Amino acid sequence: MYLDMHSHSVSSDDSRATVEQYLKWIQVLRKRGHVVDGIVLTEHRKFDYDKDYAALANQYDVVVLKGSELDTRYGHVLVYGVTEPLTKDIDFGNVAMDTRELLKAARQHGAYAVPAHPGRFGIGLTEYIQQGEIFDDVHIVERLNGGSRKGENERAWELCDDKGYLGVGGSDAHLTSHICTCLTRFEAKISNEADLVEALLSEQFQPVWLEDTTNNPTSE
Amino acid sequence: MATELEYDRSLYGIEHDAGPFEVTESQIQAFSRGIAETNPIYTDAAAAKSQGFQDIVAPPTFCTIMVHRVSLPDIGLKFGGKPVTGGMHAGQRVQARAPITAGDHLTASSHLKEVYPKTGRTGTMVFIVWETTFRNQDGTVVADVQESFIRRG
Repeated sequence: MYLDMHSHSVSSDDSRATVEQYLKWIQVLRKRGHVVDGIVLTEHRKFDYDKDYAALANQYDVVVLKGSELDTRYGHVLVYGVTEPLTKDIDFGNVAMDTRELLKAARQHGAYAVPAHPGRFGIGLTEYIQQGEIFDDVHIVERLNGGSRKGENERAWELCDDKGYLGVGGSDAHLTSHICTCLTRFEAKISNEADLVEALLSEQFQPVWLEDTTNNPTSE
Repeated sequence: MATELEYDRSLYGIEHDAGPFEVTESQIQAFSRGIAETNPIYTDAAAAKSQGFQDIVAPPTFCTIMVHRVSLPDIGLKFGGKPVTGGMHAGQRVQARAPITAGDHLTASSHLKEVYPKTGRTGTMVFIVWETTFRNQDGTVVADVQESFIRRG
């Protein structure tokens, strides 16, 4: 199944897209022949315990999962399978937190943390690795990011090849029409956040462009 | 785990009052021209009155300019122990609550809503968010304006 692993709704301070607008746009993508099964809302520096998108997900037949994107000392990190103990252990608003602490805490609390857009100039994980920082607990990074500028996804690709990291894909959408520009193809069926963490641990996935989800993919 | 952000947190919960500010027909007409508004209730007093309004009506986003008449206190921001100065306006959100017409006298009440840091390609930024509620001379809330300001860390 195909999931957009990185998106922001109006719950984030810098997005103007509602969840329903995303789900309506996905209907358009489906009519165009693309296969899109779900999205993960990774709101900035927070986790929305109070948000329930089950009715919308059911109405539009799209899996809607919740995660977070945290700012850390060594770049942004996507967190999947967020649990209450994790939010008590980690200050989600602390932009100076050590990425390594987050990676460890996520696993301790049943979640999984994935460095976002590692090839991003000035802020991606690549920059810090080049400065000599070591991240032993990184195994998966966001290899395809829909918000990347020229050269940034290529740097992420090189990082994966160099370090042996696995990669996921996400649109990083902040606007309706940007949703699902990049996705992740999973072998497993995923219907909730726990399934997603299991699927990441299974290592049976790969990043894809939206165009790759048609019956006649442009590239693999 | 503490963040490195320091500012005057005692400002939370304090309302800063300003006004009254008189709303004039010329202000409304100038604003309407500025946003290319052509609905006659926003440009012509007679048309507005024929629709049941007291006078020419201000477009719903009118308080985006009225909020500039409100002075907000310095929050004494420091990031990583260093004072942060300068910055820029980062945007506004307006919720129109009731019509504003020429001749109204508006008062404003502002409070600090949120201060938070974020990081991006260009480094660390701190967002300072203020909320201002405008009321007319009858005490009716006519608009809420949320303003954000960016400071560089």
